[in-house]
Amino acid sequence: MSAMSNSNWDRRSVLRAAMGLAAAGGLAACGSNTGRAGGSGKTLVQMFHAYGEAGTEQAIKKYAKAYKEANVTTQWITSADFESKLFSTLLTDNAPDVFEFHPQIQMIKSGQVADLTDIIEPVKDDFNPADIQSHTVDGKIYGVRMIDDPQFFFYRKSMFEEAGVDVPTTLDELMEISAKLTTSKVKGLYIGNDLHNVNDTLIWSAGAQHLTENNEIAYHTDGVVEGLKKMRKLFTSGDLLLGAPTESWDPSSLNQGLCAIQFCGMWAMPQIQDALGDDWGIFPFPKVTDSGKQSVYNGGWSMFVNAKGKNVEAAKEYVKWLWIDQKEYQEDWATSYGFHIPPRASLAKEATKLKSGNAAEGVRLFNEFGHFDNIGWTQAMRTAMEDVWANCVRKDMDPEAALDKCDTAVNRELKKLFG
Amino acid sequence: MSTTTTRDLARPASAKASPAKPRRGLRGSPTFNFWLFTGPFLIGLAIFVYAPILWSLWLSFFEARFTVTPDEFVGFENYAYMLTNDDFVGSLGTFTVFAAFIVPTTWALSLGLALLVNRLRFMRAFFRSVFFLPTAVSYVAASLIWKMSIFSGVRFGLMNTVLGWFGIDNIAWLIDPNPPWYWLVIVTARLWLQSGFYMILFIAALQNIPDELYEAAAIDGAKPGWQTFWYITLPQLRATSTAVILLLLVAAYQAFDEFFNLLSKTTWGRPPLMELYYKALGESQDYGAGSAGALILTVLICAVTLLQGKLMGFGRGDESK
Amino acid sequence: MPEVRKSAPASGKPRRVKRGGGVMSSTGLYIATGVSALLFLVPFYILLRNALSTDAEITGENWKFFPTDIQWGNIGELFTDETVPFAQSLWNSAVVATLHTVGVLLLCSLAGYGLARIPYKHANKIFYAVLGTLMVPTAVTFVPSFVLVSSLGWVDTYRGLIIPGLFSGFTCFLFRQYFLGFPKELEEAARVDGLGYWGAYWRIVVPNSLNFFAAMATITFIQGWNAFLWPLVIGQDPGAWTVQVALSSYMTNQTVVFHMIFMATAVSILPLVFVFLFLQRWLVQGIAQTGIKG
Repeated sequence: MSAMSNSNWDRRSVLRAAMGLAAAGGLAACGSNTGRAGGSGKTLVQMFHAYGEAGTEQAIKKYAKAYKEANVTTQWITSADFESKLFSTLLTDNAPDVFEFHPQIQMIKSGQVADLTDIIEPVKDDFNPADIQSHTVDGKIYGVRMIDDPQFFFYRKSMFEEAGVDVPTTLDELMEISAKLTTSKVKGLYIGNDLHNVNDTLIWSAGAQHLTENNEIAYHTDGVVEGLKKMRKLFTSGDLLLGAPTESWDPSSLNQGLCAIQFCGMWAMPQIQDALGDDWGIFPFPKVTDSGKQSVYNGGWSMFVNAKGKNVEAAKEYVKWLWIDQKEYQEDWATSYGFHIPPRASLAKEATKLKSGNAAEGVRLFNEFGHFDNIGWTQAMRTAMEDVWANCVRKDMDPEAALDKCDTAVNRELKKLFG
Repeated sequence: MSTTTTRDLARPASAKASPAKPRRGLRGSPTFNFWLFTGPFLIGLAIFVYAPILWSLWLSFFEARFTVTPDEFVGFENYAYMLTNDDFVGSLGTFTVFAAFIVPTTWALSLGLALLVNRLRFMRAFFRSVFFLPTAVSYVAASLIWKMSIFSGVRFGLMNTVLGWFGIDNIAWLIDPNPPWYWLVIVTARLWLQSGFYMILFIAALQNIPDELYEAAAIDGAKPGWQTFWYITLPQLRATSTAVILLLLVAAYQAFDEFFNLLSKTTWGRPPLMELYYKALGESQDYGAGSAGALILTVLICAVTLLQGKLMGFGRGDESK
Repeated sequence: MPEVRKSAPASGKPRRVKRGGGVMSSTGLYIATGVSALLFLVPFYILLRNALSTDAEITGENWKFFPTDIQWGNIGELFTDETVPFAQSLWNSAVVATLHTVGVLLLCSLAGYGLARIPYKHANKIFYAVLGTLMVPTAVTFVPSFVLVSSLGWVDTYRGLIIPGLFSGFTCFLFRQYFLGFPKELEEAARVDGLGYWGAYWRIVVPNSLNFFAAMATITFIQGWNAFLWPLVIGQDPGAWTVQVALSSYMTNQTVVFHMIFMATAVSILPLVFVFLFLQRWLVQGIAQTGIKG
């Protein structure tokens, strides 16, 4: 205790320091308005979530630099914060002119994204029809698909051989082999810490849909209830990897040998290839009920134009230039970093990296079992469905009750969107 | 601005405007000085704090989805929606559980540490620093350490490793809500982060207890230890304890960061702010309902604070002014 | 309740009185304190262990108490990574936290003094209006605030990062409580000398309150440094990132770079440790003088 008496700093020196800092702050504040208005001609801002594969950020910036009509700057947002940042900036004048997201109808209904029909129409037939359909509302097309990302199970062939098990085609089989694959060191199966990555596939594999064509609830079926009950059994079986440090979009858990099977996406193939050589294969989400069918979730990312931006026309020009005209860049983007399927038939045909081995198998599963986003299934409905999983798979609520609760929330959304 | 020029400090605050003495004027005028001192702060408060609050209030009466400049007036519909929402109402229960864990434990731990540190003769500053240091760590950083290293659900997590020595199976601390181990994770993280700060408050208060009280007690034959603690230290700390408990309650009610980082996508362990975020203010972007919920919470916390203030006498200093 | 406040300007000598004691021997005392201290240090140890390991070792087969090969290179990697301007973000945080601290102290101390000591008939109402802002969670007004600040054109500027956070009702409240206990005699003496409120404040009150200012400075600086959500949305351009935002960018979608996250966290905490070690001796005294004790 030595400091009791020392309370007399020289007042003036303290004040002077404070004034100096304040002045410096004023200057700094004036000088720091970073590069928004710089460059000649038009300025556009594009927003991307941070892709994990090395080189992706540089690639996006390289494409932007090659564009001569406008000065395009890139915002590269850490993915955990991507939605909150995108949504909050969209409310302001500082919103990006161009951004990537998934097709969701509320953005169209609230006038946040611009109609891109005129730039897509001429090449419409070259796109995967499902990708056009998932971006269309009332005959207008609102986004350009950049990449398709099918998601399925990846497994270690050697572990399957050792345990003497085959690739499962039903959920029951998946549960059985998960038990057989589990050892003191390795868990049988990893589908993410919150399990939400298989929400959609479970519905499809149970022979159901999210919504009917008339936008009414279609997920609340006996098959889905049965599936949820089985998932609960799997969750409590001890055969599931839980609390892993990386989420399931990252193949680390499989690569490090924490699990024998992991749910992940096509993008991870190069990383898995590097880590495991040929010791891996893929299979779709198995059938939940006899009437169901195996399924694959065809996720992906699309470009949208901010309808309230200052340069809507210039932004549309840029999107057209990059994501419709520049096929070389589109192919580079789809196959040079992670693996993605180009949504355009003419490109998919030429993508040699997707022609052999597991990548070719991935394309086959995409075509044979794939389901695309339903544009009417909004973020709020997603959240409601995630609650179902939390309530009756991780907790032991009755699936019927959990789905009833979800129905209430989804109906409220549907009513607001479609009247 | 009033031109009152009362210089008489002895007079009560409700100074009647005495006829102005024009010359010595503004510089001595309490009213002018009051605004000189508080004006800059109050103007900023109005712009950057009150304007957004009023904006929220306005939003709460509108159908404000994906916009903060809505035009569809809906009256009290948003309030009705939030008040009839089981999850939102349930989150108040979660808050109660959380507060019931965190308030007494932090209070006890920080008081305990303060008593220990205050009795040290050597290395007092060192130990005080050690206990205070976590205060410098952000909730985001602490959540990261807790989630990825200490309470990781896999075999190489620290806790699971330690349990493994005793032959206990791995526990998925944050994933499986049965049993609710997640409370252990949340509470230990917050304890670590905030105890040091409250310890300082207690140390400060301990140093303010007059020595004469202990001397008198010794003369009266009170044994040092539990007796003096119980009959002197604790009563003397009453005011600090009250303040600490109030601060802890407010902090618990504002809790968000560690829940958000540790318990993403659950339906349990959601205190009110988490519930609001998931229901409305986050990805769902229902700013009308979100603002309504927020204002309900604000009214609630005001009521509780006032009640607690009445019960425990916090802020008595005001009246004695 | 009667105030047991010692006269505010710290002048007391360290007291060495046997108070309490007896329950625990001196050895027991040090053992208890030492064990608690070790527990408090565990997370710091983990942070350093992870920061100096390879990813493979952090997530390896078994828990390792020490990295087999200490990866000092991780520090260099952090500062040479081209995608995240970490050094710039440290600088931004230093500027933001410093100006935040100076601004908050200046504005809130003046306002606190005005509310505590200058007679004005609406002072109490205004005080409750300030206090009321404590009850409204910031998360709630977050979106309107952001839209407001954005419409001022302050996105990506120091102004936008700093100014909206200066008006802390809580700090103002603490200052008011402190000034309520400041001995009146000192100011009255000053006023006899012909100083107005302003003069008395700067010549008498502030110089005699530096302990308390130092305590508030410590706490405010920590808050400014650790702020996350606000800098995240305001700092859209990487050049305007604070260190907390830079930190979060190491957790990207498909890959989490463990050693970088932990190294960045460790480096981001370091400046605060120094600030605290420097200011902590004033902290206890400063807080001992707040009205917070009743």
